[in-house]
Amino acid sequence: MIEFRDVKKVYPNGTVALDGVSLKINDGEFVFIVGESGAGKTTLTKLLLREEKASSGSIIVRSNRDEETAKKPAVYDLSKISDFKVPHYRREIGVVFQDFRLFPNKTVFENVAFAMQVVGEPTKIIKRRVPAILNIVNLTEKSGSYPSQLSGGEQQRVALARALANNPQIIIADEPTGNIDPKMSLEIMNLLVKIHKRGKTVIVVTHEKDLVDYFQQRVVKIQGGKVISDGVGGMNV
Amino acid sequence: MKRYRLTYFLGQSFKGLWRNGIMTLASITVLMSCLVVMGSFVLLILNIDENLEKLGLLNEIVVFVDDTKTDEEVEEIHKELEKIPNVAEITFISKEQALEEEKEKYKEYSGLYELVEGDNPLRDSFVIKYEDNSAVQPLVDNISRTDGIAKVNNRADLATSIENIKNGISHVLIWFMTILFVVSIFVIINTIKLAVHSRRAEISIMRYIGATNWFVILPFIFEGIFIGIISSVFAFFIQWYIYGYVVTEMAGTLDFLSIITFDSIGHYVALAFLGIGIVTGIIGSTISTRKHLKA
Ligand SMILES: Nc1ncnc2c1ncn2[C@@H]1O[C@H](COP(=O)(O)OP(=O)(O)OP(=O)(O)O)[C@@H](O)[C@H]1O
Ligand SMILES: [Mg+2]
Repeated sequence: MIEFRDVKKVYPNGTVALDGVSLKINDGEFVFIVGESGAGKTTLTKLLLREEKASSGSIIVRSNRDEETAKKPAVYDLSKISDFKVPHYRREIGVVFQDFRLFPNKTVFENVAFAMQVVGEPTKIIKRRVPAILNIVNLTEKSGSYPSQLSGGEQQRVALARALANNPQIIIADEPTGNIDPKMSLEIMNLLVKIHKRGKTVIVVTHEKDLVDYFQQRVVKIQGGKVISDGVGGMNV
Repeated sequence: MKRYRLTYFLGQSFKGLWRNGIMTLASITVLMSCLVVMGSFVLLILNIDENLEKLGLLNEIVVFVDDTKTDEEVEEIHKELEKIPNVAEITFISKEQALEEEKEKYKEYSGLYELVEGDNPLRDSFVIKYEDNSAVQPLVDNISRTDGIAKVNNRADLATSIENIKNGISHVLIWFMTILFVVSIFVIINTIKLAVHSRRAEISIMRYIGATNWFVILPFIFEGIFIGIISSVFAFFIQWYIYGYVVTEMAGTLDFLSIITFDSIGHYVALAFLGIGIVTGIIGSTISTRKHLKA
């Protein structure tokens, strides 16, 4: 569960990016975050990743026990969490960016495996889990390819696989379809829905009206740093 | 059970060193030169010390007793001398003993001393060893003031000037070393900074997937350590060669000197180089990754 309470973010240069945002996202929800350019969507994801700290208000993230990785339940208060704990907190979240951010000199397999290596997963488990995850994103046959040999859509699927590597409960995607063509976009979105159906909380920041309308999920609309609407349905809720 | 593999960190640091080959080479060259210069200075000082000790110049004064004094009076003088501060050890050499020694020394000219038999021209003497090299002059003054002392033979002037030269060398050494270390650390800092910079995109991704600080910076710390190790290994062999060369050169011309063999100190040199090299590497790489210690 994720809870924003009256969150304000002012950047050092004085820009007010978020202004009094209160928002609750339950476990297993699928949420679109929409809004014009500069509305504060990316800032919201950065706060959630604790890449930036809120200027005021609080952000609480609760995670449950995970049977698959034997991870204990935890509560994180992002305004109080120490820098030292941030890496451990980030393992609760899988993140996908518009520009993929893959390691160019690692293969598809290695890119996914690396996320597990980072958290100290034993090789035996890595070798078993990576193919299973690549199977979810339909990339089994591209396992040995390098990112430069893949299409945008395929690269984004690798990024998605990496986000899933450590079995986080929350997936955040900031404009995951921003750099890929419409047909592929639908495929990526379908994958995110598939992941949601497997029980994950999925937060998707997007500009794509058609996709939002098509999926009919909860839509949080941000404008000028404020939540101006929040409800299930299409873009115009 | 979570496990991290050492091979990952080692592999990453080797890659890093290789990728920034020129900077790596520069770091190694500078640190290595620093070690060799330092090593040479220290070996020089050790040899000076060794020779001074051999010559016994530094901690001995010979005191001659007025030859009008009786044995009892000489005994009194001995007691007086023992009271003087900074005196470590007093050896009495009677004029008979001294004569025997002289005879021994010049036994080819045995006739020489027969003339003086029964009328020994030598004096009773004390050989005084002292503790503190830097307070020889007050000691000499105190001895001279003692009643019944005819002459004080000391090499305080020589001892002092040798001591001064040694101090001078040590001073230059310390400054030189400080400068060289600052330069070495500076070069290592820049090498590692470059390595960090060339991997900043990767580091930012690693941050997003939950990599801890140490996971991110350990390969760079290892890079620093490797630079230290490689530099010290090269420095050791160069030092060995240089020392051997200088010793053979000197052996022909200055054969009265006693020179420490490299065999007897080589392992200390190796250990010192390795230790200093590794510490320098760690300091340099820690400084250059410090700002990445944040989340
Ligand atoms: N690091 C920063 N320093 C200062 N201002 C920033 C910074 N990052 C974002 N901003 C400003 O904060 C506001 C919100 O930016 P944000 O990136 O959150 O918008 P966004 O909704 O993601 O926009 P887009 O749809 O274009 O990605 C903008 O006015 C932006 O210029
Ligand atoms: Mg954005």
